[in-house]
Amino acid sequence: MEFNNSIPIYLQIIDSIKKDIVVGKLKTGQKMPSVRELAAILKVNPNTIQRAYQELDREKITFTKRGMGTYVTEEKKTINSLMQEISKKIILDFVEGMNKLGFSNKELINTLKEYL
Amino acid sequence: MMTLLKYEIYRRWRWLVLRYVALIIIGIILLNRVASPAYQNEFIGESIGKFIFASLVIFIIVIVEGINMLKEDLFEECGYLTFTIPKKGRTVLASKLVLLFLQLSFWTMISIGFGSILFSKLPYPEIVQIETQINFYLFPTVLFILTAFFNFVLMVHFSLTLTKTLLVNKRYSSLLSTGIFFFLIYFIEKVYYGPFLNQLNHVSIEIGSRSNINLLSGGYPAVFLNIILTAIFFTATAYLLENKINI
Amino acid sequence: MEQILKATQLSKYFYQKKALNKVDINIEKGNIYGILGPNGGGKSTFLKIAAGLLKPSQGEITIDNKKPGVYTKSIISYLPETNYLYKWMKIKDALNFFKDLYADFDTERARESLKFMELEEEEKVTSLSKGMMGRLKLTLALSRKAKLYLLDEPLNGIDPISREKIITSILDSYSEKASILICSHLIYYIEKLLDYVFFLSEGRIILSGNAEELRNKRGMSIDKLFQEVF
Repeated sequence: MEFNNSIPIYLQIIDSIKKDIVVGKLKTGQKMPSVRELAAILKVNPNTIQRAYQELDREKITFTKRGMGTYVTEEKKTINSLMQEISKKIILDFVEGMNKLGFSNKELINTLKEYL
Repeated sequence: MMTLLKYEIYRRWRWLVLRYVALIIIGIILLNRVASPAYQNEFIGESIGKFIFASLVIFIIVIVEGINMLKEDLFEECGYLTFTIPKKGRTVLASKLVLLFLQLSFWTMISIGFGSILFSKLPYPEIVQIETQINFYLFPTVLFILTAFFNFVLMVHFSLTLTKTLLVNKRYSSLLSTGIFFFLIYFIEKVYYGPFLNQLNHVSIEIGSRSNINLLSGGYPAVFLNIILTAIFFTATAYLLENKINI
Repeated sequence: MEQILKATQLSKYFYQKKALNKVDINIEKGNIYGILGPNGGGKSTFLKIAAGLLKPSQGEITIDNKKPGVYTKSIISYLPETNYLYKWMKIKDALNFFKDLYADFDTERARESLKFMELEEEEKVTSLSKGMMGRLKLTLALSRKAKLYLLDEPLNGIDPISREKIITSILDSYSEKASILICSHLIYYIEKLLDYVFFLSEGRIILSGNAEELRNKRGMSIDKLFQEVF
């Protein structure tokens, strides 16, 4: 995974994990790689991974069983709202991008229809 | 210190074996020549000369190597390794000096051993007379020379170490260490041995009507003075190595 | 968080030049630190003082609350920029030397690391290329279970393949009980490894802070920030 060094790495890791969960790459209840494992794979400081995991735990997207590891949540609700959150961001980015190009919201919908 | 000594020996063990085996072989060859009746008296003198030459060469090698043992750690990149291992300065210095001491002792035994046998083959009856006189003064004199050369190396070590404390870059280091060394020699000669020199015995050995041999023998007191000098320079150098040098 | 190294107003003068000028640095366990700055800025000098090779002119430095000496040398694993191994050594001699002199040296790990770095034990140290020497030095330094690792320009003159191996090795030896201090002027490759950074130039600390926070606040990579500052 390529990182953008201008943005906090842990945020990028969080985003990446969230996406993986939503698209099903990481299944519900699946055990996440340990902090050290993931740090080695991504070539990133372990504390950064730790911070990302902590944040994910805080948002209840993952849960940590002491001594056993970090797991993806099994709450369908959480995953659904995650999907909502991510898709909303993609859409907002799209709208903002198109607006910047000069498309009004109506034009934008029409253009979109053409592509679908 | 034994670990460091082990590596000092290990890294040059072939050279160590080579030089002493060579000296022993030369000694044996010369002894054989001298023992054979075909050889005349002149050749005995020649053989003694050859042995002395070989012996001196080995001696110089040992002394120079002794100096370089510390010099390379002070002035070359490997110093970064020597002075970051968890050993005290005195341990590092001691390991090198012990090897030097072992070599000097070994060299002395071989040299005196073969030397005295060769010398005794000289057919002059006067030799017997000399021998008994020499033997009396031989041991302390040999000790004195040994300790003096040991101190020589140690004083060079001290000069080099002091230089490394005062100067950081390599540029004037040779100049400074040479200067310090000669100052020390002068100082010690005048102040340390000075008052003692008056009491040295000039031993005159007569060989019949031939020449006299003058042996300078301060005896055991001189050796003792040397040993004190060793202690002083060892402590000083070790202190600098541990607390003051900048690599 | 426990402190493993503390430098207070540390200064080092070489004749007129101030290589280090009243530097304050605290290193805590379990973190990876970067001391970044231009060449000649004082990074190597700082590391050498911590390793016990140079003595401070002014100020103090303690490692595990002790002044530099035999104890600190036993808990510090120092990787200098120079080819510091004895020229008579083969790689296996270097392994044995480290094993004999450091109680915390992990020979098994060193052998595995040599395999990973593609180095042969029978090779003479003098016949190694720059990249191989860099990998060997790192193997030796990281095979120790030290409390503090001081790596001076570990990536200098290293080819890209060796570089990746070195970065992986550094991550491998990370432990919550130890700290790693990396000096470099090649920031791009190591910035993802760093928790905290110190920017050192002309002997002074210009800037310091948590890497992620700096990215957040300044909106740029540490590399970019470095170029801006210098």
